[in-house]
Amino acid sequence: MTATSAAALPVTTEAVRAPRRWAAPLWVSALLIILTFLVIYPLLMLFFGAISDSNPVIDGFGKFNPSLTHFIAVLGNENVRLAFFNALVACGGGSLLAVVIGLAFSWIVVRTNTPFKGFIAGASMVPLFVPPLVAGVAWSILGSPKTGLLNTALKWTGIDFRFDFYSMSGLILVFGFYYAPYVYMFTASALRNMDPSLEEASEVAGASAFTTLFTVTFPLIAPAILAGSLLSFVVMLGIYGVPAALGAPANISVLTTYIFKLTAWAPPLYNTAAAVAILLMMVTAILVWAQQRVLSGRSFATVAGKAFRPRSLNLGPWRWLTFSLALVYLFVVVVLPTVALVIAAFRRFLFFKDFQAVFDMKAYSWVHFNSIFDNPLTITSIWNTMKVGVITAVIGGVLAFAIGYTINRTQVGGRKSIDLLSTIPVAIPGLVVGVAYLWAWIGLPGGLYGTIWILALAFVARFIPDTVKALSTSFMQIHKELEEAAWICGRGLLSTIATIMVPLARPGIVASMTLLFVLAVRELGSSLFLYTSDTTVMAVLLLDYYEGGNIGKTAAFSLVQTVIIGVLLGITYWLSRGSAESTARAG
Amino acid sequence: MSAALLIEDLVKKFATGKAAVDGVSFDVPAGEIVVLLGPSGCGKTTTLRCVAGLEHPTSGRISIGGRVVSEPERGVLVSPRERDIGMVFQSYAVWPHMTVHQNVAYPLKYRRKSKGSGGDINTKVRETLELVGLGEYAERPVTSLSGGQMQRVALARSLVYRPQLLLLDEPLSNLDSKLRIRLRDELRRILKMTGMTGLYVTHDQSEAVVLGDRIGVMRNGKLLQMAPPGEIYNRPADSFVANFTGASNVLLGKVLERKGEQAVIDLGAAGHIQAWTPQALVAGDKARVALRAENIRLGERGPANSFTGRVTERRYQGMQTIYDVEFGGQKVEVLELGTAARHNDGEVAITLPPETCWAYRDEGQPTAD
Repeated sequence: MTATSAAALPVTTEAVRAPRRWAAPLWVSALLIILTFLVIYPLLMLFFGAISDSNPVIDGFGKFNPSLTHFIAVLGNENVRLAFFNALVACGGGSLLAVVIGLAFSWIVVRTNTPFKGFIAGASMVPLFVPPLVAGVAWSILGSPKTGLLNTALKWTGIDFRFDFYSMSGLILVFGFYYAPYVYMFTASALRNMDPSLEEASEVAGASAFTTLFTVTFPLIAPAILAGSLLSFVVMLGIYGVPAALGAPANISVLTTYIFKLTAWAPPLYNTAAAVAILLMMVTAILVWAQQRVLSGRSFATVAGKAFRPRSLNLGPWRWLTFSLALVYLFVVVVLPTVALVIAAFRRFLFFKDFQAVFDMKAYSWVHFNSIFDNPLTITSIWNTMKVGVITAVIGGVLAFAIGYTINRTQVGGRKSIDLLSTIPVAIPGLVVGVAYLWAWIGLPGGLYGTIWILALAFVARFIPDTVKALSTSFMQIHKELEEAAWICGRGLLSTIATIMVPLARPGIVASMTLLFVLAVRELGSSLFLYTSDTTVMAVLLLDYYEGGNIGKTAAFSLVQTVIIGVLLGITYWLSRGSAESTARAG
Repeated sequence: MSAALLIEDLVKKFATGKAAVDGVSFDVPAGEIVVLLGPSGCGKTTTLRCVAGLEHPTSGRISIGGRVVSEPERGVLVSPRERDIGMVFQSYAVWPHMTVHQNVAYPLKYRRKSKGSGGDINTKVRETLELVGLGEYAERPVTSLSGGQMQRVALARSLVYRPQLLLLDEPLSNLDSKLRIRLRDELRRILKMTGMTGLYVTHDQSEAVVLGDRIGVMRNGKLLQMAPPGEIYNRPADSFVANFTGASNVLLGKVLERKGEQAVIDLGAAGHIQAWTPQALVAGDKARVALRAENIRLGERGPANSFTGRVTERRYQGMQTIYDVEFGGQKVEVLELGTAARHNDGEVAITLPPETCWAYRDEGQPTAD
């Protein structure tokens, strides 16, 4: 090396390093600003709305008379208390039922020799994909006290018992049935990771299988049971579709349906809605926090690094009982509702003079489908839904990639704040996101309100934690050295991301973006407050049909929506499988 | 209180074809400790789990204290909790959601018939915890204990109800080596003090020698030899047993003649060697002669099996020295105890005492490791 080149060296280093110094802070602040805009600003507006008594539509933007008395008055309101109480009862009862079902299923699948366990494991996850409103609609067709199909069948068999799903117990049953998979996911993996000799020790010590189950097995997976039930409780708390379909006819309001009722009042009570939304958000945040605490606590059941033979209880002939239990569950959550929707969608009138009338083919036709597709709103809503879905998937996917990469792969200052801001929406129910976005944009003249962009932005904010988490998982599977090797080869950071990270993480990126798309397509809670007649989406229109009282059209449109979501899920599966295969080949 | 264990023709086949336990028979008289020793996958743990009732045998009979607890041919299968046994697991299997006291009291609480139920639960738990040296730890949560202490809890839990038979499944293999040695010696003391019949499974020969009144060496689901430790070490019945217990030198040759249990083996260029053989070898059989490195005498000319060899390599290890010695195309390792290495490279006299040379039929077996 010559003296001149050595002397020149510091100068060039300086020239290369210089832009980097401001690039990182600039990048971090850009992300922070975007997240603030998406998450913090609407929440602040919601908060101001809750403690003021000005109407953003009438008084315009930025006029607040902040006063806590308003918020306290709302909390003292009898109806709010009732809705709060109803929500706790419905979600509490639903969670209990979900624990019973989820725990039973995880035990059957992980610990017994029940036949077709793989099928049972797969089938028990199906309810996760059913949109809540569709489930609610199906069960109102099945279990409405007078015309419900179940009651028609009971009448025909002469049994003097009638179901009434328009009730608190109906709400609890449907919640418990459809949200049991959340409990199952946690308990099944806890059981799988549990050292079987813990149970064997109990049996050798002289305890019966039953005693072992309740003194050793269940106490050991208690953290998983608790985490699963808290999660299912939180999810139920934020659901609008089921209580709207089943609670409304019986005048049972929960927090979500009550909030919507407030904004549908004339004049709309936006402040009260904001205050109740804050209440809902606080309860959710506390539960999410509790759940994270439970999960981060030391797990009892794991044993370091030892692979164990899975312990499988030989049930003998009883295994057919457990198998039929699984079939009954599948029948109740999938087959019955589907049959109900199909019958209701294709029958001219949902009235049966006797049970044989069900099989009268003359009564079936495409009339409801024709009528929903005659309605221009139907096509508009499908078109809007697709647009919102694509926008959400693209913006959310890119943003989640940027956030996930910054959090997981860089050492820049401020990434902790980015992590925190992008996690906050976990604790915000969709409905609250909707109310917050309403407050944030409704008063702004010429703003986003009334466009499909506000829906898309709300969805991005709502689902950013899930997307970042999903992407982070696929980042973690890519070894840091693969990137470092590209840097050594002289590639810059951006070029490394483009040539190494994006191609390697492609299955994860594709999967997260399609997940976002599907979530956006079925989202109801936050859409409720943000749509206008021009920007209506499928989920909202379905609710319209239901509230309009035409069961045939509702069922028909439910089927349309279900088929669309089913096709989308199929494409997702096909896409992610295809790209996973291509990376497997490349690797 | 303690009872004898009898196993006859035990066979256990798993769903995937090959028998994990293939016709094993042995007995453990009351108060004796038998150790099953063998490499991983030899079927020793499966045998133990069949005795516990945690695995269901394919055929054969297991009796504890004269009572048949498992005989598939007659449809007899007593559940683990009805067998009145105690078991200590490799992974400790202490229940992390309970304290030390709760763990040990558990069997007393949930056993159907509290046999010999004199005294209350607390006294028994305290006595047993004293026995295993955990008297002061009763109210601690087990998760705050070290691995060795957890294993003591597991031992106390299986002793507290004085079962007729104690099963131990590699109880020390998750501990570090220092602790393992200490707990090993203590385990024997405790077991002998309680007079418990014990069946102990391990892959560690030093554990087996210290703990067992008798050792059963297993391989590929078969019991090769069952004998007191001294006999296993000095009269291994099988070349695998010899190799597994440390006779790592192997000389290949041909049997010239056999008288009683003494045989003369032709080692080719090296000449003839006298050896003890438990197997009925006849002249002309191929034989492998196994002998331990520490039984070879270096620099000595004995009355028999004396050769002139050459030291090709010397590895000084402080307290002992290992020599590679060649004689007549045969190669052996010789171990010399003591801190002084007395032999240099070059020619040396070696003696292979006939009673330490064990000849077996050469079936081309692979070695244990």
